[in-house]
Amino acid sequence: MTLTTDCASCEDELASGATYCEVCGRRLAEPPVPEAAAGPAAPARKDCARCGAAGSVGDDGYCEECGMMAGRSRDHLEADGGPAGAAVSDRGRRHHRNEDAMWLAVGEDAADVVVCDGVSASFDPDAASDIAVRAAGELLAGARHPDVPFVTDGTDETVDLDSLERPAGAVGLAGAVAHAITGAAAAVASLAHTGDPRRAAANPACTIVAAAVRGPHVGYGWVGDSRVYWLGPQGPAEQLTEDDSWATHVIALGADPVSAMNDPKAHAITAWLGADAGPVRPRVRSFTATEPGHLLLCSDGLWNYLVDPAELGNLVRECLTAANSLLGAARAMVAYANAAGGADNITVAVIPVRPAATVPEPETIDLDTTNA
Amino acid sequence: MSYTAEAFQNEYLALGASEVNAIVTVTSSGGEGGRRTGGATEIIIVDASGSMQAEGRIGAARQAAKAAVECIDDGVHFAIIAGVSTAQQLFPEPGRLAVASPQTRAAAAVAIDRLQANGGTAMGAWLLLAAQLFAQRPGDIKHAILLTDGDNGERYGYLDSVLDQIKEQFICDCRGVGANWKVAELRKIADRMLGTVDIVAKPMELTASFQQMITAAMGKTSADVQLKVWTPVNASVRFVKQVEPQVADLTGKRVEDGPRAGRYPLGSWGQESRDYHICVDVPAGGSGDEMLAARVHIMEGDTEHARALVRAVWTDDTALSTRINRQVAHYTGQAELADAIQAGLAAREAGDDRTATIKFGRAAQLAHASGNKATEELLAKVVEIEDPVTGTVRLRRKVAAEDEMALDTRSTKTVRVGRGQ
Repeated sequence: MTLTTDCASCEDELASGATYCEVCGRRLAEPPVPEAAAGPAAPARKDCARCGAAGSVGDDGYCEECGMMAGRSRDHLEADGGPAGAAVSDRGRRHHRNEDAMWLAVGEDAADVVVCDGVSASFDPDAASDIAVRAAGELLAGARHPDVPFVTDGTDETVDLDSLERPAGAVGLAGAVAHAITGAAAAVASLAHTGDPRRAAANPACTIVAAAVRGPHVGYGWVGDSRVYWLGPQGPAEQLTEDDSWATHVIALGADPVSAMNDPKAHAITAWLGADAGPVRPRVRSFTATEPGHLLLCSDGLWNYLVDPAELGNLVRECLTAANSLLGAARAMVAYANAAGGADNITVAVIPVRPAATVPEPETIDLDTTNA
Repeated sequence: MSYTAEAFQNEYLALGASEVNAIVTVTSSGGEGGRRTGGATEIIIVDASGSMQAEGRIGAARQAAKAAVECIDDGVHFAIIAGVSTAQQLFPEPGRLAVASPQTRAAAAVAIDRLQANGGTAMGAWLLLAAQLFAQRPGDIKHAILLTDGDNGERYGYLDSVLDQIKEQFICDCRGVGANWKVAELRKIADRMLGTVDIVAKPMELTASFQQMITAAMGKTSADVQLKVWTPVNASVRFVKQVEPQVADLTGKRVEDGPRAGRYPLGSWGQESRDYHICVDVPAGGSGDEMLAARVHIMEGDTEHARALVRAVWTDDTALSTRINRQVAHYTGQAELADAIQAGLAAREAGDDRTATIKFGRAAQLAHASGNKATEELLAKVVEIEDPVTGTVRLRRKVAAEDEMALDTRSTKTVRVGRGQ
């Protein structure tokens, strides 16, 4: 499969075999920066959606009449990697801005995807998630991936962080993810000493979940409570991550799962990226798909409404069937969360993964000739 | 000259809340190399009424005026007015301004030696003459010092009519020597002329006070800076106050500037930083709504130097909406401190000891909690502070008039809050 999707930012074609837009390094979600308008005509100002005043939205995004924020570019973002993946991030219904961020880069049978969720209690969490997805995404794009990824049997890998300073050729997919998350952690931590002085006291912080897909091989890792699910052809969704949250912690210690999840502290995260996070030890894992399926990465804005893995599995498959594209499916999942209340920012990324037997495409093999 | 403006606030409001508060810190780098690029004019008004003969005041005033003249930079226009029942120009010849040089400063010193104390007090007339002299130098940084030792002797209402006529045309710092002048009178002048008011209890302290004022004035590099505040439809500015280095309410000085915007005069600026408290009433929004409650511009004529945004974001998350912003809380306390002292002094004068004790008690509490040591010390001369934490005070039976006046004039002096949330 060769992608013919152009990078929206620089319009350089994603060449066959080249996994990323090497030219500008931008994620597909970003709309191109518009060229400066030719001639003296200034771009027309937008009408205010709140008070209806015509052409009243000023350069800083607020209506010159009623003062209401007319919408931010991050309120709704979509990344369309065609058949290789799609991601949608949305402000939801209750929050005033989208503090989630996402990164999606796709290539031939390959995808890098990162989802971050800003910690609301910190200052400028949207800046934290934004810098985290960029840092992690660029590190994933820059890592050299081995032909045969280092595969574990589901146990956490211990990553020697010293060896990650210079990513060597043989760093496995999980190692590349760990390296990317560690780099994102450093980028987020650096925010505490820039910009608004209030950042120093309540430093910007966010969660992260990242995955690198190469053919049937998947490496993923996380810090916080954003999740990765695996959706096989049928059955409930399988949660591949374990939330770094109070609820997960006490459930592991033997507390009743239902009452633990209903506790006000349930969502308090126990690990995050940020200057006050201490040394970040991302948990990373990898596996090789043996049957076709989809990876689903999402922030708690989605999974909060779908705590039951069977329900989640059904919803994702319904969305995939109903929509004629991955992007359509991701949009439908965001719409589901918004219809359920949209109490938090919602970010969803869907990446199809095929087992090794179907790569390359099986129909190119002529069985009769081989047997002759 | 480069400015920065930075807003400090908790932008998160509870549902239904409609009051938005922010502290805007305005910082100026001063002119290039701290030098003025335009002109400057300095006028020194010295009270020469008969009462100035007491305690060697006129001699100290002469010495102070000469020291002040020595501090005027070369090239700055200046004049000296002798304040009696009328305004008399002491230097240079009437209706003229001198240009500072070693020769003119020496000539001014000779003229100052001729200053004799005999006559009345007519502050309205003095200020009017100063305004006429300043009018010769449009565009200059204009600063005056007014020194007096007594009450204004002009007919009731005349000073007010003069102030209405000349308000904000120049900066006037007012100083009262001794204890026979009225704080309220000088405060009124300083307030209208964007200056400061203070007591110089002992004549011998006048020289240092004059030198300090002139040096500060010589450091100014911009003449007329303004704060422009835009607010959305159906919103209104409740108040705009300077809160650091001292409290000064600018709300009433608003001049409309186009739809939904008004300008507030900030006076002349050098290399310095000041804090402003802006409070805006807005229509309440719904959960998740974000509104620009005010856009604050630092203006000099039509030039915008800096801007800051005051925002309102409504949330049902009480963890966000109940956060106290340190800057807003600190300066709200400093303004309340000044008000408590003023109310305490007024009650004390009216013989209402009970109210005075309550007000001074609250003031002692606020001064202590905010680390405003200077005000706490001044307060301790008027009341015995038994416990500053609970605000337990006792009125002193005998209070020196100068101590009471020092507390009055300096009650508006604030301390800066530490940065960070």
